[in-house]
Amino acid sequence: MLYLRDFSYSLRRNRGGFIGFLIIMITLLCAIFAPIIAPYAPEEAIVEDSRLAPNSDHIFGTDETGMDVFSRVVHATRIDVTIAVFGTLLSLLIGIPIGLAAAYREGLFGEITMRIADVLQAFPVFILAIALVSILGNNVQNIIIAIAFLNAPIYMRFVRSEVLSIKQRPYVEAARCAGMSNLKIMFKELLPNSLRPTMVQASINMGWAILLTAGLSFIGAGVRVPTAEWGSMIAIGAPLIITGQWWSSFFPGVAIGITVLGFALFGDFLRLYLDPERR
Amino acid sequence: MRIAKYLGKRLLTFIPLLIGVILVVFVLVRLLPGDPATRLAGNFAYGDTIAALRESMGLDKPIWQQFFIYLGNVLQGNLGESWFTNKPILDDLIVRFPATLELITLSILFSIAIGVPLGIVAAIKPKSIFSRISTGYGFFAGSIADFWFGLMLVFVFFTTLNWFPAPIGRLDLTITPPLQITGFLVIDSLLAGNWNALMNSIAHLALPVLTLGLINVAPIMKMTLSSMKEVMESDFINHAKVLGLSDKKVMRYALRNSLPSIVTILGVIYGSLLGGAVLVETVFGWGGLGQYVTQALVNKDYSAIQGFVLVATIFSLFIYLFVDLIYMIFDPRIKF
Repeated sequence: MLYLRDFSYSLRRNRGGFIGFLIIMITLLCAIFAPIIAPYAPEEAIVEDSRLAPNSDHIFGTDETGMDVFSRVVHATRIDVTIAVFGTLLSLLIGIPIGLAAAYREGLFGEITMRIADVLQAFPVFILAIALVSILGNNVQNIIIAIAFLNAPIYMRFVRSEVLSIKQRPYVEAARCAGMSNLKIMFKELLPNSLRPTMVQASINMGWAILLTAGLSFIGAGVRVPTAEWGSMIAIGAPLIITGQWWSSFFPGVAIGITVLGFALFGDFLRLYLDPERR
Repeated sequence: MRIAKYLGKRLLTFIPLLIGVILVVFVLVRLLPGDPATRLAGNFAYGDTIAALRESMGLDKPIWQQFFIYLGNVLQGNLGESWFTNKPILDDLIVRFPATLELITLSILFSIAIGVPLGIVAAIKPKSIFSRISTGYGFFAGSIADFWFGLMLVFVFFTTLNWFPAPIGRLDLTITPPLQITGFLVIDSLLAGNWNALMNSIAHLALPVLTLGLINVAPIMKMTLSSMKEVMESDFINHAKVLGLSDKKVMRYALRNSLPSIVTILGVIYGSLLGGAVLVETVFGWGGLGQYVTQALVNKDYSAIQGFVLVATIFSLFIYLFVDLIYMIFDPRIKF
């Protein structure tokens, strides 16, 4: 309770963080209540209404096949946010324990994991994502796996370097003298004290995951076309840009921008909030 | 001498990394469901055709042996054949490389020209409105999708204003391309004295360069800002100020000391752009590497994807190596 009050107090004092938090909340609400907010079904195509400019019936207009852009933008939050959240969670689940173990057991194990991380991080991110998704097959589950795979080495490094610096501290030694087991020391003493950079990065990576998903879908390597997803919506609208119907690409792109901005601002706030020295 | 020694040491870590990358690429394609020979032979092949194909592809050998065969092929520049274009993949990539390289090189130069000065000014005057605008811009550009931004530029500057040519390729179809020397259209048309091609290729470059350039201003500016800020707060800068050195001189000292981190971020961005430009290339029908790989994706041309992943990764590894060398020249304290 006290934590919560402290958190909300700090959040209200940080304008950027507050806006970011608000954006994330609105996005989540959109995802949960999409069928209530959206006036049309996400894949409902009314052919005679195709390419309508924004009007009172279709506030964001309609796309080439007559699907309501606003309804699709709202519904797309479901898929994009799901991918971002689960992709990030999965990469945390992989990266944190490995980083912890690599730091706690230096030597051969630590060395090997670091070299594997080196190799994985040598690949340009988007290229490796393309390769993974094209090989695993393009569906939501595999995009999540690809994102987890790409981001896990980042968290591994963060956790490892933090743990390396704190494991020499007296309180860890005290825990060992008190007879705590290795596992208990790792999870009760080292882990909670090494998560700060990871949490900040996780918020920023949520945004990256959304950009990556949209990019993959844009070139047809991500979510398949009729599904409401921001990147594939931009792809549907892309040919219409030259003929002047800007709206069916414009709005999903704005949705991406706002959501990613929200996660970036919130991450920036977390960096300050979790820093024990700056508060 | 120092450079040669460093290069030697750096290559020692470079080679295992390279082999690791090749191994990952090899494993990636091995993860594909099904047997490669069956895939290549098609649905109607007989059992013995497939068996013969398996043998000629070396698939009957143990997996580790297959890896060494693959490694040997890669080292000889043999990346296999694309079954879509029916040409060796390396040739396909080499033909398309200059288009992408021209695009990303001009883009990063554009980003440097804007991002570095902006970052410096924002660092020197941290309380000014200017610094706030820079920070805001950093968040903004970091949040939008580059391919979307490219489309919006096309809408404004082609569809509406008609200032630039349609986003299809590097030259209008009516213009005779200059003789290919470097593959960079701007340089080639200059060398050939072909003004029409020069103006036209610049016009075609403008929007994609603007797209990638404006997006990448953000990280460059942020890095310049943060490293300059850190240096400006350091003791030796305070000392220089106390001694009464001119602002200009102080700034020059500070800039020189923040150069290593700026060069690093430049290297990272440039190295990843070869792959990162895929989306923007698609928007502008650029015909470079990015489009080659999107086409390969659609056609499920796995060895082409494999070849591209390998080439793009090796390119970025070389850029990182190069950055480390520059780093050493800028910072004489670094001893390896």
